[in-house]
Amino acid sequence: MPGRPLSRRTTLGSALAAPLALAACDIDPPPRTDGTSTPTPEPPEDSELVATVVAALVSAQGVLAAATAAAPDLAVRLDPIAAAHAAHLDVLVGAVPESEVPTATPPSLATRPPAVLAAVGRSEQRLLRTVRAGCLEAGSGDLARVLASVAASTSQHAATLTTRSTP
Amino acid sequence: MSVLDALQVTLGDEHAALYTYGVLGARTSQAATPALYDALSAGYRRHRARRDRLRVLVEEAGGVPVAAAAAYELDGPLLRSPQVQAAAVATEGSSVEVLLALVAQSVGPVRDWALTEATWSATWQLELGGGPQTWPGAPELA
Repeated sequence: MPGRPLSRRTTLGSALAAPLALAACDIDPPPRTDGTSTPTPEPPEDSELVATVVAALVSAQGVLAAATAAAPDLAVRLDPIAAAHAAHLDVLVGAVPESEVPTATPPSLATRPPAVLAAVGRSEQRLLRTVRAGCLEAGSGDLARVLASVAASTSQHAATLTTRSTP
Repeated sequence: MSVLDALQVTLGDEHAALYTYGVLGARTSQAATPALYDALSAGYRRHRARRDRLRVLVEEAGGVPVAAAAAYELDGPLLRSPQVQAAAVATEGSSVEVLLALVAQSVGPVRDWALTEATWSATWQLELGGGPQTWPGAPELA
């Protein structure tokens, strides 16, 4: 089945502009079935959620930059991950035009490739947890779908760190 | 589309995926290509569990689970290992796409489950010889 059509920025941007309306009308969420009588909480502000994910992506980019500087031979393995993060940032930042992109302080890493790869792996797992949480909390179904794709991509790239031999 | 509709579409896709995995496994030699055979066997088990879970979710949402078709059309001859691998990668790619649609249509535990399964299918593509993508399941964002 084809996924829901979603133009690159316009639909996501409008979704973030009115998360409450989307949560109420377009997404058609099912009723809670956990049996509790607690009122359904207000959907979170998706723009804040996006800012959290953007900050996590910037942090992961900082680790990748530090890793490439510490072990240049790993660039061929790490550059595709950085490119994916850049594409993810492009879409998410473009969806919230007035948001500020934070800057990350690159960590200092050891120069041994196995240690560098391990540090990148831990960073990617932290990013994956943040993106997953954002997907589950998103009031907009379109945003949740975008973040689910980001999570899937991050998981794929993290897997390449452990399934290929160190050059 | 309601969450029930999305669940039914996902269940229908799982019926097709299970059929495909069955054919792919039958055309794979455990002795000649043990790694591929193991990857296909693990994929079949995962999709079987996913189908069973979807049946429960559909019933919990008030629906009657859609039944599997008698057979599904497969692309290509699927006679050699690379062809089998490519078909398995494509099957997982289709699963990611359908599960992402379910993510968009659901909330709470159903979205959590769909996200977990979408991430698994995307990552399993690497075990089957596929490569990482920037937008798995959402290629229009590229």
